[in-house]
Amino acid sequence: MRSSVKRPPTPDAEEEEQDREPTLQEIINIKLVESGEKERLKELLRERLVECGWKDEMKTLCRAFARKRGRNNVTVDDLVHVITPKGRASIPDSVKAELLQRIRSFLASTAL
Amino acid sequence: MSSRNPSYSTPKECNHLTKYKLKHGLDGYYLIQEFVKTNPFGRTMIDKSKLELPRCSFCSGYQGRLYFCLICSSVTCCLSPGSDHTLLHSQSFDGHEIAVDLERAELYCSVCCDQVYDPDFDEVVMCKHMMELPRSENGDLRLCKRKRLNFGIDLDLRNVKRLVSLRDQWSKSCFPLGLRGLNNLGNTCFMNSVLQALLHAPPLRNYYLSGRHNREMCRKRSNDRLCLPCDIDVIFSAVFSGDRTPYSPAQFLYSWWQHSENLANYEQQDAHEFFISMLDRIHEKEGKASHAIRDYGDCQCIIHRAFSGLVRSDVTCASCGFTSSTYDPCVDISLDLDTHTSYPINVGKPSKLNESAGTSTLVGCLDLFTRLEKLGSDQKLYCENCQEKQDALKQLSIKKLPLVLCLHIKRFEHFPIKRLSRKIDRHLQFPFSLDMKPYLSSSVVRKKFGNRMFAFEGDESDSNTEFEVFAVVTHSGMLESGHYVTYLRLRNQWFKCDDAWITKVDEEVVRASQCYLLYYVQKVLYHKSSEDVSCLPMSPHADRFVPIAGCC
Repeated sequence: MRSSVKRPPTPDAEEEEQDREPTLQEIINIKLVESGEKERLKELLRERLVECGWKDEMKTLCRAFARKRGRNNVTVDDLVHVITPKGRASIPDSVKAELLQRIRSFLASTAL
Repeated sequence: MSSRNPSYSTPKECNHLTKYKLKHGLDGYYLIQEFVKTNPFGRTMIDKSKLELPRCSFCSGYQGRLYFCLICSSVTCCLSPGSDHTLLHSQSFDGHEIAVDLERAELYCSVCCDQVYDPDFDEVVMCKHMMELPRSENGDLRLCKRKRLNFGIDLDLRNVKRLVSLRDQWSKSCFPLGLRGLNNLGNTCFMNSVLQALLHAPPLRNYYLSGRHNREMCRKRSNDRLCLPCDIDVIFSAVFSGDRTPYSPAQFLYSWWQHSENLANYEQQDAHEFFISMLDRIHEKEGKASHAIRDYGDCQCIIHRAFSGLVRSDVTCASCGFTSSTYDPCVDISLDLDTHTSYPINVGKPSKLNESAGTSTLVGCLDLFTRLEKLGSDQKLYCENCQEKQDALKQLSIKKLPLVLCLHIKRFEHFPIKRLSRKIDRHLQFPFSLDMKPYLSSSVVRKKFGNRMFAFEGDESDSNTEFEVFAVVTHSGMLESGHYVTYLRLRNQWFKCDDAWITKVDEEVVRASQCYLLYYVQKVLYHKSSEDVSCLPMSPHADRFVPIAGCC
């Protein structure tokens, strides 16, 4: 692991911990966050997933899981771990396509 | 849905949270409050810095769930049970168990690997949230409204005349028991219309018909000879006697004049005003506490048992977000007509106007009643937290629903500058079955605060939120001169009660009418009273030769 594990954390630790070039993915992510586009995209995604019933499906899965395990024996971590693979797999292609399209057009509009 | 489990119950605190709070109190919460941000869509999150991406102190990752330690402010990530740097952090540093989810502004316990809840934390977050609600250009709060349903009912008012048909005399005797015309004693249609509605309010009707107000005992006990409940008892007996000839409630009118001298004349009066004064008079006589202090919360008189509800008023300071709630008892709810269109906010879609020019709906009026309202700057209220007068936000909701819900539609506008008042003739569409659940305090508050725990101090039992209309008092004409007519719904059949004339009508007539007072009763009571034998149509043979005066 990195050497920062042993270093006691300070409240405003601004030290540069990247000793490598940022990947393209990181750069895109930073641009998305800085411009506020990521928030907008997230909201759009939320709306689409509600519309197509994905959210309700996930809710049902969570309920079933909680019922099986017992209400008081379930943690957030458990739930996330259980539904993440199913959730990722069941996203409709149309939603993926729409978001990809939006990200592309955003990138086209900002100088990279 | 099971009614055994309450839908919301505050989860128990994990002992790590308890330990943290004992040691640090609420300081950590207030420090982090500064960083609570509300995004333009109304979601709360923690935003330490707009310039930088938050990164995990172990792996510099920015993916997955990010947590912010409340003790040392370090950020750690949690991607999966196998890669849980938040847990690693709490293992490396003793006492650093409680963190805040950056994305959601929720408390998290690294050891329990679970979200934990603290009403105090939620309150801190919500205070900040309320201050930062997105505002439109003119400073009004813009809140995402529910999508409206468009009812497809097309009212063609010209068809109304066709639908009002008079049945022949035979069918009169097939009317349910308790239907009897009331003679107009000189502009007393305001009184007749309200009486008809009250005669068929299930709790009131059951009370009087089962002889709970004993006229004999009453006369002996009270000093003054006048007792409005006694006179009402007389009317109940007369109306439910089976006699179909129109009845003159003269004694009752005289009694009411004695109590309300300023209204003792033959001028036209307001039906709602009469309704309220009647409830007051009955309560005075029947209530345990005579005169003086009316303790609405505890009064068990028939009026309060039937009509009394509780309205919650939340006032929020626009500067610090501090909210104070008060509860006021009420026997009815006065609603303003919704004359404006709604503005549903859709991400990425243009807002649509979906209201036709001249129709309002009861649901719209109720939404208006429970809307979050920004009080004008001339109405600054004193805030305990800020210790000075501040701009405020107000929101009403219903804490406790009565058995009988009377909705009063405010059909008049006053122009103090021009010194005139005007009646609003706008048609109001109302449902026969009404679910009041969205207007309960629990629903309204939940909508405002999401899943924050502190807002729920014992949910009301919301199993009885469904209501059925049983009487509609309608007004036609102008503000100073008009006519009141009541429509009664007995066993799902509508009857028009126009002073002395009772006729059977179709529901379209009722829907097309201009409602002023709407009387709803809890669904359970409505169906129970429909099963009553007394509501069954009587055999036509019994009253064959009784002359029915006043019908045409």
